[in-house]
Amino acid sequence: MLLRLLIICVTLCAFGMPKSGRIPKHDHEVRDPIHVFIHFDSDERKVIDSRPLQRLRHIHQLALTYLIYPGATHKRFEHSLGVMDLAGKVFDIVTKEQNLSEDVRKLLPEVNQDKKRTYWRSVLRMAALCHDVGHLPFSHAAEDKLLPSGWNHERLTAEIILSNEMNSIWAGMTPPLRPEDIVKLAVGRRKAPPGMKFSRWEEILSEIIVGDALGVDRIDYLLRDSHHAGVSYGKFDHHRLLDTLRILLTPATSEPALGVEQGGLQSAEALIIARYLIYSQVYFHPVRRIYDIHLCDFLTQWLTAGKFSTELEVHLSMTDNEVTAGLREAAFDSTKPGHESARRIICREHFRVIYERNPSDLQINPESSSAIFHAAQKNFGAECVREDKYTQKGGSLDFPVLQRDGSCESSLALSETLNKIPVFAIDYVFVRPEKRPEAEKWLEEKRDAIIKEGRKKEDE
Amino acid sequence: MNRLKQDALLSELADQLRRRGSWCGETHMQKATYFLQDLRRVPLGFEYMLYKHGPFSFDLRDELTAMRADGFLDLSERGPYGPSLVPTRLSVELRNDFPKTLEKYGSDIEFVSDSLGNRNVAELEKLATGLYVYFEHASRSQVIRAKILHDLKPHISISDSLEAIKQVDAIVERSA
Repeated sequence: MLLRLLIICVTLCAFGMPKSGRIPKHDHEVRDPIHVFIHFDSDERKVIDSRPLQRLRHIHQLALTYLIYPGATHKRFEHSLGVMDLAGKVFDIVTKEQNLSEDVRKLLPEVNQDKKRTYWRSVLRMAALCHDVGHLPFSHAAEDKLLPSGWNHERLTAEIILSNEMNSIWAGMTPPLRPEDIVKLAVGRRKAPPGMKFSRWEEILSEIIVGDALGVDRIDYLLRDSHHAGVSYGKFDHHRLLDTLRILLTPATSEPALGVEQGGLQSAEALIIARYLIYSQVYFHPVRRIYDIHLCDFLTQWLTAGKFSTELEVHLSMTDNEVTAGLREAAFDSTKPGHESARRIICREHFRVIYERNPSDLQINPESSSAIFHAAQKNFGAECVREDKYTQKGGSLDFPVLQRDGSCESSLALSETLNKIPVFAIDYVFVRPEKRPEAEKWLEEKRDAIIKEGRKKEDE
Repeated sequence: MNRLKQDALLSELADQLRRRGSWCGETHMQKATYFLQDLRRVPLGFEYMLYKHGPFSFDLRDELTAMRADGFLDLSERGPYGPSLVPTRLSVELRNDFPKTLEKYGSDIEFVSDSLGNRNVAELEKLATGLYVYFEHASRSQVIRAKILHDLKPHISISDSLEAIKQVDAIVERSA
């Protein structure tokens, strides 16, 4: 004890002590239910304290899912911190000297230079932190309806990162960060502003965040969403997965990509199975989906001109809180715009499923749900029926796997499991609750004929 | 072009490629569709960009996944490039719904399948990137285009790039 005190005194004498008597703190941490502690430095803290990040404290990660899974009230804010934490960890693992082959070093010279590595680690963590700042209230997926043409949340994210407000933070850092670099890594190649060119290195780093198979955005949301929803579906051994991530050469084309060591293949499979299960059980639960549709109906009536503004000041001032207040007000006042949809959410009078996609009907008509939707609309009126369709995005989950002999193979060539995970797709037709008994009877009688006769053959 | 019509053409393309010995994985379909759409002008409406392994369309990737969900394509046995995409009986029924569309673009599909059906992934990457370079720099000489291709894909040697550019020019000429 005495020795420890002595060391502290000597250290303070040697390096000087601020007048206040307190040592300035540059390493900060917060507790997190998924990653236990999340550490960040003073520059990152400035970003965390900025308006765009603080706004995410008021954007639910899973929109109205809490109406079905009451625990799912977590916000984009803590997810953003989690993605930053994971991105930093992955960067440290994949750039570790013993984890890089000579071939990869040649193709990615950035990993050999300490200064560049430090710069890009910082860019990656900032991009991970900011990757969701453009999300609309309730993380709304219906961006094509609720934003002006040509806009999506990734474009808003890019605009915020490039804004003067954030630029002053990037410029004040040591070394200063280029906002364009942060945009690239935060939104990835597919959603990057037109004309933005990606180097190989930038492709790999953006893959660490937004990658389809092994990206940390997905890793964090699967773990976090399952934790808060109270389900086990999204859980997998992410510690093992992170530990075995590597930058490897794709077997067929020798281009570098994010992959895993052979020993991590099973945890990657578990991640992908977890995704399939949580999609089916949580994200695409039919009641969650219909609440989303009611919310979209409400917003198109409640918002000025039926759209969210893309002006940054307005965007930053609009959160779930303002929308929830609007919903509650409209639900109990029939003169307010969006009253009907708001009431359906607040009073839990949502539409009910009368039809959902199934393989036998698809054999007869690949658009069976649309055929039923249109027939139901004709029979019960457009205002009484809603349709919801979604098919999983992305391709087969192909990533390189490092074999024990040093060669790389495609994950799809090695894993029976990855090839067998079904593609996730839903089609639902909903009707007003008061019409449900009538609609179910109607469907029982007409279903086969509607599906058969509704097959479209609009040839040239 | 509506989705089902698009799917009918894509499943016909997969069928024709396989008949000519193609492994017909996702990459094969990506590159063949690039030739079909951008060289043969079949209006499929996919947006292509130059990506890691040459021209690539995220929209097409999503559509191939949707075709699996709808039962038009199956994944077959595993191989060196992962699984093949195999058109199903449902895709044959789908194609039967669009005889005029298939007739209209049938020769384009045959041309692309004849030109690319026997190529492996590495060759397809070279040819598709070579075609991309052709569209961007059509007036440049073969040597300069080979240099541009090499700059875009340094793992493709200058001599292999030149060979790819010559093959692309031959395909473009035959296509005219």
